[in-house]
Amino acid sequence: MKVIVDMNLCQDHGQCAIAAPEVFRMDENSRLVFDAEPDESMRQYVEDAIDVCPVQAIFLED
Amino acid sequence: MTSTPVAPPAALSWDELPYLPVSDPAFSVQSDAVREARAAGWCARTPYGLAVLRYDEVNSLIKDRRLRQGSWAWPQHNGVTGRFADWWAGWLLNIEGDDHARLRRLLNPAFSPRAIADMSAGFVALANELIDGFAARGEVEYVSEFAEPYAARVVARLLGIPEEEWPTIAELSATIGLAMGVTFKQELPRIEAALDQLFAYCDAIIDDRTRNPRDDFSTALVTAQRDGEKLSHTELRDSMALLVFGGFDTTRNQLALAMKTFADHPDQWELLAERPDLGKAAVEEVMRVNPTVTWVTREALDDFEFGGLAIPAGTTIHLFSESAGTDPLVFEDPSFDITSEGRKPHFGFGGGAHHCLGHFVGRMDMSVALPILAQRMPGMRIGEGADWMPFSGNTGANRLPLVFTPTA
Repeated sequence: MKVIVDMNLCQDHGQCAIAAPEVFRMDENSRLVFDAEPDESMRQYVEDAIDVCPVQAIFLED
Repeated sequence: MTSTPVAPPAALSWDELPYLPVSDPAFSVQSDAVREARAAGWCARTPYGLAVLRYDEVNSLIKDRRLRQGSWAWPQHNGVTGRFADWWAGWLLNIEGDDHARLRRLLNPAFSPRAIADMSAGFVALANELIDGFAARGEVEYVSEFAEPYAARVVARLLGIPEEEWPTIAELSATIGLAMGVTFKQELPRIEAALDQLFAYCDAIIDDRTRNPRDDFSTALVTAQRDGEKLSHTELRDSMALLVFGGFDTTRNQLALAMKTFADHPDQWELLAERPDLGKAAVEEVMRVNPTVTWVTREALDDFEFGGLAIPAGTTIHLFSESAGTDPLVFEDPSFDITSEGRKPHFGFGGGAHHCLGHFVGRMDMSVALPILAQRMPGMRIGEGADWMPFSGNTGANRLPLVFTPTA
């Protein structure tokens, strides 16, 4: 499972970090950092983050 | 290796900032005073604290975790305690940190684009049904005949409240909305009575969906869980009541502001009728230049410095969404244009941790409605007797007569 974030779209709202803190977090400058290859057990959380992203910038590659 | 030194921003003094009288009912977020202040710098003083006027600074502060959402203490400021204050204190908007994250995680899935996708066709039918009531007349009181029933029936559909009861939803929302005004404390008994009635609706839905789960929005809320956690009955009831209150007024007002915007741009109205695929872009452009939420409120958690200004803990900060959305430093040509591409996002749905939870629904219902209105109300313009709210805070129209070329 590979997580891709379109950084041209990303606005650093941080909703993904609320939905799936196991995979996404905001750094001390309020910028997104994330685990691009999370464990398979994280799939549902990643899908929640994909759904909630206000600008729909997150994608999943199997 | 060299790096470009970045000069620190010049120190700003509060005393020298321009002053904007935002609590004056005659104040407008689109006034020359705001434009002049924005040209002079990124911020201004207000009776409450600070107004932030430029795109980059609004964009940064709206996501800044040194700030919390700013209206949490409103009941306390008005000396109000009791069940309204308790409800308010539990709002998703008014809690922060881990409590906020947990509640948001549990509420999010019901509002996802996948969950609401199949509501679109119903919104088309609803818009057409309402327009059928006045299209042949060539004139309409748009708030009571379209914006209000459309917004209230969308909320009723979403929650599963019988749709013919929409006037009750609208009335309860309006009564609860008195809490936002200067007569909050005097009106508290009426406000609490309306809240009780709204809670009763929510309780009935929660009980029904708990016993009879089905494939709908309210069942998704009632059954939501993550890592073994679920929403409590109180959390469900409070959140549903917030959804009614937060979803109805904003949509009604934004739909009225859309007509004001297009009445000023008849060529764009004509274009939208020809190209309904521009419905989504129309919503974004309307919300950029005429957002109902004219400012997003934050409060400084600690003392900090930003953009050369020392901001003390407790400062109320108003992030001006329209001023940011038309900032010439970011938008080379900020004029309203539904065919524009590559615009930076507006702040009409707020941003950061408190980004509007219902924005996918709001975007969808408005982007469906606007092209249908454009097709069936050609030549639309504002008639006599429009009654606008102050152009500050949450704005819109109380009454909006429109005239147009009659259609079938």
